[in-house]
Amino acid sequence: MSDVIKINDIDSSDCQRFDKWPFSQDFCVTCGLCSSTCPVSGIDNFDPRKLVRMISLGLEEQLVESRWPWICTMCAKCEKVCPMGIDIASLIRGVRSLRDRDKVPGILHKGLTAAMKTGNNLGLPQDDFVFIIEDVAEEIAEEPGFEGFTAPIDKKGANLLTTIHNKLVNTHTEDLKYWWRIFHAAQEDWTVPSDNWEGTNWGLFTGDDEAMKIMTGRIVENMEKLEIKTLLWPE
Amino acid sequence: MTVFDLLIQYIKDGRIKLDKSKYADVPAAYHDPCNYGRKAQKMFGYGYFEEPRWILSQCTDNWTDLYPSTMNQLCCGGGGGALTTGYNDERILYGGRKIDQIKATGAQMIVVPCHSCHGQLNSIKAAYKMENLEIKYLWEMVADCMIL
Repeated sequence: MSDVIKINDIDSSDCQRFDKWPFSQDFCVTCGLCSSTCPVSGIDNFDPRKLVRMISLGLEEQLVESRWPWICTMCAKCEKVCPMGIDIASLIRGVRSLRDRDKVPGILHKGLTAAMKTGNNLGLPQDDFVFIIEDVAEEIAEEPGFEGFTAPIDKKGANLLTTIHNKLVNTHTEDLKYWWRIFHAAQEDWTVPSDNWEGTNWGLFTGDDEAMKIMTGRIVENMEKLEIKTLLWPE
Repeated sequence: MTVFDLLIQYIKDGRIKLDKSKYADVPAAYHDPCNYGRKAQKMFGYGYFEEPRWILSQCTDNWTDLYPSTMNQLCCGGGGGALTTGYNDERILYGGRKIDQIKATGAQMIVVPCHSCHGQLNSIKAAYKMENLEIKYLWEMVADCMIL
C-alpha cells in the first residue's frame, strides 16, 4: 500500500461501483478525526481516512486486495467521531464482501462454508455434539448443589432455546457450565437444539449477507419446530 | 432476548441469589464490547451500557470503569473476526492499548460479556505478561457468586 497514485491518473469510470454505495463516503472533509481515534491507525500504514478517500476515488482493486479492511476490527470508534456521519465500519464490511471468497484471510470463510454445509463452523457431527453436551452435563451433576442436573436437548415447548458458541464444544467446554449452572439455580425450562446450534455468524465478518440470513433462518426454524417463543443468543 | 435482560430478570425475580463477598477483595473493571454497546446504539438505537453494570454491581462493590468507557470504550482488538484472520501480530499490537487502559485502573479482573473479547483479552494478557489478570465472563461472575 506504499505506491504513490497520482490523482490525474485515476480513471473516473473505476468509481462506478462505489458511486452507488450508501455509506456517504463522498461527504468526507478529510478532517482526520477518524484516524486520530482509530486504534489500528499506523499499523501497516492503515488509517480510516485514507480508506474512505480511496473509496471515493474508486481505487477498488487496491483496497479489496489489501489487508486493511481485515486488520480493522470494525469497532466503529471512527463513526462515533465522524462529523459527516459516514458509516465507516459498514463501509469496511462492504469492501470485505468484495474479496474473492477463497481469498478471505484465515479460517473465516472456511468456517462459514462448514456452517453452511453442516450447521456449525466446526463441521461437528450431531452425534459428537450430543455426546459433548451430555458429558459436560454429567460433570455438573457431580457438583454439590447440582445433583440430577441434565442438559435438555430438543425439548419441545421449552421456555427458552439457547444457541452455542462453537468454541464451547471445541476447546472451551468448561465455559458451557456457567450458563447451565444459572439455568439450574433459576429452575429455567431451557433447551439446546441438536442441529444448527451454532451461535456465531461469521458472515457478519466476511460481509456475506446471504450466509447470515441462512444461519439466522435456521435458528428461527428451530424455534418454530420446537414451539419455543424465547431465544437466548449469548454470542 | 439478551444475556443482560435474562440475568436481570433472574436476579430481580429472586430466582437466583448472589453473594457479594466472594470477590470483594479482587478489584475488577468492566469492558464494553463494541457490539453490545457502540454498535448496538447505532444499529438498533439502544446500547447495553447500564444493564451489565447493574448486574456486576449485584456481584461485587469492588469494580470500576475503564477510561474511556461506554460509547467511547476502546475495542479490545478482537472484533470483526480478528481472532480468526491470522493477522495475529497486528491484533496483539492493537490490544496493547487495551492493556494500558486496564493497567491504569489497577484491576486484577476484567469482566466482559462477549466471547470474542474474552478470547482476545486472554490472548493479550499472555502476550503482555499479565499472568495475574483474570478474564471473566459476566455470566461466569454471576454463576460464581450464586448462593445455592
